[in-house]
Amino acid sequence: MSESLSQSGACNQPSACNQPSACKQPSASRDTLLKVSELTHQVNLGSDTLTILQGVNFEIKRGESVAIVGRSGSGKTTLLGLMAGLDSPSQGRIELDGEAISELDEDQRARLRAHRVGFVFQSFQLLPALSALENVMLPLELAGHQAPAEQARDLLHRVGLGERLLHTPRQLSGGEQQRVAIARAFASNPSVLFADEPTGNLDTHTGRTISELLMALNQEQGTTLILVTHDDQLASRCQRRFAIEAGRVQEFEGAL
Amino acid sequence: MHSRDKLASARRDLRERDVRVVILALVVAVATVATIGLFAALLQKTLVTSASAFLAADRQLEAEHGRPIPQAWWQEASERDIRTAHMVRFSTMVFGDAGFQLVSVKAVDDHYPLRGEIEMQPDASADREFVGQGPRRGEVWLNPRLMRLLALAVGDSLEVGNLSLTVSGLLLREPDGGFSMASLAPRIMMHADDVAATGVIQEGSRVEYVALFAGDESALEGYHQWLRPQLEPGHEWESVRDGETLSRSLQRAERFLLLGGSLAVVLAAVAVAVASREYALGQRDTVALLKTLGMTGPGIGRLYLRRLLLWGSAGCLGGLLVALPVYWAMAEVLEQVLARPIDSTLELRGLVPALVTALVSLFAFAYPPVRRLQKVPAMWVLRSEPGEASRRAWSDMLLAGGAIAVLVWLYAQEVSLVMALLAGLTMLLAVLALVAWGLILVLRRVAGGATAWRLALVALYRHRRSTLSQISVFAMTIMLASTLLLVRTSLLSDWQNQLPEQAPNHFLINIAPSDVAGVAAFWSERGYPLEALYPMVRGRLTELNDQSVRQAVSKDREVRELNRELNLTWMARLPEDNQIVAGRWFDDGARVGVSVEAQLAERLGLRVGDRLGFTVGSEVITEPVTSIRTVQWDSMKPNFYMAFPPDSELRRLPATWMTSFHLPSERKSALNEFAVRYPTVSVLEVDHIIERIQAIVRQVTQAVEAILALILAAALVVMAAVVSATLRDRQREGALLRTLGGRQQLLVRSTMLEFALLGFIAGVLGVLAAEAAVWALQQRMFEGDVQWHWGVILPIPLVSSMLLAVFGRWQLAPVLNVSPMLLLRRLE
Ligand SMILES: Nc1ncnc2c1ncn2[C@@H]1O[C@H](COP(=O)(O)OP(=O)(O)OP(=O)(O)O)[C@@H](O)[C@H]1O
Ligand SMILES: [Mg+2]
Repeated sequence: MSESLSQSGACNQPSACNQPSACKQPSASRDTLLKVSELTHQVNLGSDTLTILQGVNFEIKRGESVAIVGRSGSGKTTLLGLMAGLDSPSQGRIELDGEAISELDEDQRARLRAHRVGFVFQSFQLLPALSALENVMLPLELAGHQAPAEQARDLLHRVGLGERLLHTPRQLSGGEQQRVAIARAFASNPSVLFADEPTGNLDTHTGRTISELLMALNQEQGTTLILVTHDDQLASRCQRRFAIEAGRVQEFEGAL
Repeated sequence: MHSRDKLASARRDLRERDVRVVILALVVAVATVATIGLFAALLQKTLVTSASAFLAADRQLEAEHGRPIPQAWWQEASERDIRTAHMVRFSTMVFGDAGFQLVSVKAVDDHYPLRGEIEMQPDASADREFVGQGPRRGEVWLNPRLMRLLALAVGDSLEVGNLSLTVSGLLLREPDGGFSMASLAPRIMMHADDVAATGVIQEGSRVEYVALFAGDESALEGYHQWLRPQLEPGHEWESVRDGETLSRSLQRAERFLLLGGSLAVVLAAVAVAVASREYALGQRDTVALLKTLGMTGPGIGRLYLRRLLLWGSAGCLGGLLVALPVYWAMAEVLEQVLARPIDSTLELRGLVPALVTALVSLFAFAYPPVRRLQKVPAMWVLRSEPGEASRRAWSDMLLAGGAIAVLVWLYAQEVSLVMALLAGLTMLLAVLALVAWGLILVLRRVAGGATAWRLALVALYRHRRSTLSQISVFAMTIMLASTLLLVRTSLLSDWQNQLPEQAPNHFLINIAPSDVAGVAAFWSERGYPLEALYPMVRGRLTELNDQSVRQAVSKDREVRELNRELNLTWMARLPEDNQIVAGRWFDDGARVGVSVEAQLAERLGLRVGDRLGFTVGSEVITEPVTSIRTVQWDSMKPNFYMAFPPDSELRRLPATWMTSFHLPSERKSALNEFAVRYPTVSVLEVDHIIERIQAIVRQVTQAVEAILALILAAALVVMAAVVSATLRDRQREGALLRTLGGRQQLLVRSTMLEFALLGFIAGVLGVLAAEAAVWALQQRMFEGDVQWHWGVILPIPLVSSMLLAVFGRWQLAPVLNVSPMLLLRRLE
């Protein structure tokens, strides 16, 4: 998919970076973006409680790319959701971009998500009734963007789907759908992008294209990238790697 | 499939929301149509019984020539399972302590009355009682006024001819109290078996024998067929529907029920159509999957057909389970309103329309989209083709329109109703198409923005397909419900106008010309002024175009007015509620001509220009028919078959005068004084008839309201079903929007706004279409005035937008208070 690469490469040109904040240089802001301390998360399963995460501590700096790995069911998605403020932890503190999201209420977290957080899901999560363009417009509309259609069109061009604007998810291939999802994730110019197995449903080759795209956007826009993956190749391209096992998170160097 | 597998698959089906909606739609369809059908049948029965009470039976045979009804006729009736009773009517003098009085006697057997009840008091101070039997042998009941005139009390004896009877009660009301000018004298009621002993009836006495019949409609009709050839001129067969007073109100009530039932049918069809279409769309993935697993098209067709049949049965069963208790509850309420027991046995006939509706909706609305599932390509599993769903919309719509027309026609057998409904619906669809087109054009220009308004507009555009289909269905539903609402409003006000509170309830007859001024003064001094006074000359219609009427009017027409003396009058101006339908009213100073009542003219086959000869005493007056006019028989004012101009020949003949006026029941004692002052004037008290008509109108009104409530409930369910058709998509979208940072407040507001807008547009369109339909209906069915009903037009769009906003909020509820994380887990 060299086409999409060259498209994403176009972002290197200043014209594509029309908003100053989007062109933050990684080196210019090496401050802490995310700080997790003493995080514990439990869910109630009828009578028992299941402890998914226990005493988790780590810090992530602005502009970094981080991979989280672990066996299926080890709690990766749960951790990602907590960091993104989709759920509140049972105990512990999470600070995102200087705000203690573990202490915000749902609406305040929503506002935070609208402006600073982007998501890419393993199962894409596109709305089947909407076209690619409308799917990308969703977060822009929510954020009150003045010209959501133009911005969305631009983003879809950048992920190489400029010709498929009006197609619905059912008419797109898996890789194409994931690219729509990535365009949507970057639409609100987030300071951090969370991706849950973004290549999990894709073949190796397409998976690679998606990784390239994510890495490129991370580089160009200085977006912090936090992703869960089973893909060693993708994990190894990230600056840092965490492993979850038995509710604990450990950082490790090199491949698993 | 084994039956256990079938059960399992049925249970699996039930877990699918769309299936539940289809079944719910069917349940609602069957429940509303069945309830209305059952209730209409019950109401009709009750109304006929109420009206039958005017005859104290379903049919009466009167022998006015003084000969008893032949034994064979009684026997034939009982062989046909018809219940009978007999009575004898005659006039005689009775003697009490205070003198004597001419009374009209009604002697009844133990079976009288067959319908309705007698209202009496065992004592002047006792409570009123409703009893199902007349006085026992040796006893007599007197009308209270007669009681006062004769200064009698309960326990005294009264001489009737040679027989002395004990006064055992006050006769307040007879079910067949009647409204005929013949029964003018005060009434006593006694037992038929005592008549012979009085010795009053002798050869040549003026006496009427009456046979009462009650039973099955078809048995009665059959009996009448059998009897007809044997009837003699002195015999008169009377049935309820010939009775003038109530027929118009009853007819309208029946039409309203028909209309309500038809609307229920249409609503049901719409609900089933929407739900099953949604189901079919949702099933495409499954069908494609089945195909990849090797199932053939016909096999899939059979599979879904079987499911439809299963749901059809489930829907019918469920519908009946709802309809029956509701029906019994309504019957209970009706019983309380009427304060008398009614026969609420189930009329299975009432269920047929419901089952037919279910069947037709299933096959005309649910089957086509489901059948097309066969054609879903296996490739669908991997990728869908655009536009597949909408291609057959036109043929679907034609089929749907045809099916609705046939259903309504089957139900109502009324072409004008079908036409009015279809015209209204077609217009609605045409306007909808226009509005939709305009809406899309406008909405397309709305750019994003984080205000609830903008988000709502964007969402309307984004969901344009479901927006349009929802607006169409809502508008149709609103149209149907408001049609009924509008018709009900005009129906009720019409009834109210027909019998206002101050309707005349007493007639004064036989006023001598010299007494006219005095009588008028008597009542206006007491604050109850008389309505118009009419002269009255009794005469028979004997000649038609210089031939005897007997020869001129063909034998098979039964025209009882020919056997009777008619009241002939003269008047200068046409009464306000009469209407000329042919010819023209008398010019000022006219001397010739006669104006004939329209129904009688029709029965006699009269045309303007025919020459009528009337015999009055020994004179014959011959006049040409100059106009034919309709008369409001139920207006409770003096009405005349024959009216002459003021300066006609009739003027030379001896006339008496009659009039009517309103006298409240608490002032009835004034009648005693009046009877003493003007002994020759007859007073006809019809207050109880008016009260009974008002009671029947009240009961019909209740029924009308109940049916309206039922239809509104059905409309609500249809709307809820339509809203919930997009439930899954909406919730998924809500969840995603929250993940993307949509605040709850914003989501709630924009969703409610979106639905409110939808409801408003649908409300405006629907209510306007309803006006059009009502206009068409009123022209043909209810003959009322056409006008804009602002009281309905304005609130309905508001109500519908509020309602839908609530629906929208309710739909969103599950995704509001849960963490987005859980939502995402659920979505996967
Ligand atoms: N709300 C919940 N209710 C019940 N169990 C839950 C809930 N959330 C998470 N779990 C359980 O917690 C565990 C961790 O789930 P999680 O989805 O985070 O795993 P994961 O590491 O993302 O796995 P995978 O690689 O398969 O996606 C699982 O066993 C899951 O079933
Ligand atoms: Mg996971």
